[in-house]
Amino acid sequence: MSQTKPTIDFGFTDVPLQEKVKKVKGVFDSVAGNYDIMNDVMSLGVHRLWKRHTIELSGIRPGKVVLDLAGGTGDLTKEFAKRVGKEGKVVLADINESMVRVGRDRLINAGITGNVEYTITNAEALAFPDNTFDLATIAFGLRNVTNKDKALEELYRVLKPGGQLMILEFSKVTQPLFAKFYDFYSFNILPKMGKMIANDEASYQYLAESIRMHPDQETLKQMMLTAGFDKAEYLNMSEGIVALHRGWKY
Amino acid sequence: MNTSTNHTSLPLLSLSKTIEVALNTAMRLDDEQGKAFTPLEDKVISLTLTPIESPLYLIVTNTRISVQTTLQGEADAGIQTTLIDFASLPIQRQLPHAKLSGDTQLAQDFINALCTLDIDWEEQLSHYTGDLIAFKIGHGIRSFFNAQQGVKDTVSQTLKEFLQFEIEAVPTQSQVKRFCHEVDDTTTQTNALEARINTLLTPS
Repeated sequence: MSQTKPTIDFGFTDVPLQEKVKKVKGVFDSVAGNYDIMNDVMSLGVHRLWKRHTIELSGIRPGKVVLDLAGGTGDLTKEFAKRVGKEGKVVLADINESMVRVGRDRLINAGITGNVEYTITNAEALAFPDNTFDLATIAFGLRNVTNKDKALEELYRVLKPGGQLMILEFSKVTQPLFAKFYDFYSFNILPKMGKMIANDEASYQYLAESIRMHPDQETLKQMMLTAGFDKAEYLNMSEGIVALHRGWKY
Repeated sequence: MNTSTNHTSLPLLSLSKTIEVALNTAMRLDDEQGKAFTPLEDKVISLTLTPIESPLYLIVTNTRISVQTTLQGEADAGIQTTLIDFASLPIQRQLPHAKLSGDTQLAQDFINALCTLDIDWEEQLSHYTGDLIAFKIGHGIRSFFNAQQGVKDTVSQTLKEFLQFEIEAVPTQSQVKRFCHEVDDTTTQTNALEARINTLLTPS
């Protein structure tokens, strides 16, 4: 009797469940060195505004403990570290060692030291005790996680009561005409830019595909509530190209 | 659809970023590198710049200031002033009509620290232009402001003399003093007269 192995999406392709982590790792190993410059080129610099908005809405203050999951090259960690002060702490966590290395070097070069910890961890099995963080963020990382429901449960677990989760992620464009232009850009221009700048067309083709496979705004909000969050809401940015979901643990 | 009830408008976001960049640049260029802010470390100041209603939150850490539009919990101290007064702080070196709340000493210390920021613009400019050109530009700007002050003083004096002596529309300071003195004298005499009348009316 033949038994079919469970599969999961990797962009528009189905791959065996265990394969996705390796394949995502391959993508980010490949783009790590050019990740920041590609982000600027791809979003025309708007990703900085999305991240700034996220930081502003976090309401973070000195003394708080923050988890920047899938923190990559440390954009959010850098700003949170400035705000939590010497009494607070920011943990930059990512499954990809290459990204953490790039992020750590970048932050040290920017003079951000003393209140930042770096760790390599899987979002589905966070290596932190229950009720550890006042704030957890995952920016442009959740769509690469194999089991998103499990990751959300883990994020809920490590938040302190009263803590907040912020998910910044590509989402579903709300304006139909703009959606058509965005699709054309994502599948025709973006991979070519990836080839020109990072010499890596396939990785950027995956990025475009993975965005389309990611749950839309309402679905993700429902997933957060199912994972245990007591309240969830979202804010569309740039016509829904990106959505900021926020969930609270009471 | 947007289900969020709490989001920051783009202009406010821009203002917070602008103030953050301006303050940190000033601290970096300050002769003392913003040392005056050290006692304020890990404190949060709420800054309301009327006519903008939403406050900005200034977080002081490690001699740098982060600015954001929302805050978990309450700020340690609050400052309410006008956007114009705050913008002219580098020139005026004071916030005369600021309303302080919360830890008012902390708020005052923050204002004092802002006022002590001292940037040697000529020195900064000389890195790009060389000493001579930087001095000439600095000298030109100082001369301009001195001349501007001179014109302002002359116009003010001429207007004062015209109003006081030519058309006699407003009194001079000595006239006002004399008038006040005469009012005081009249009040004293009236009081004395009232007392005398009361004495005469009182049956002995």
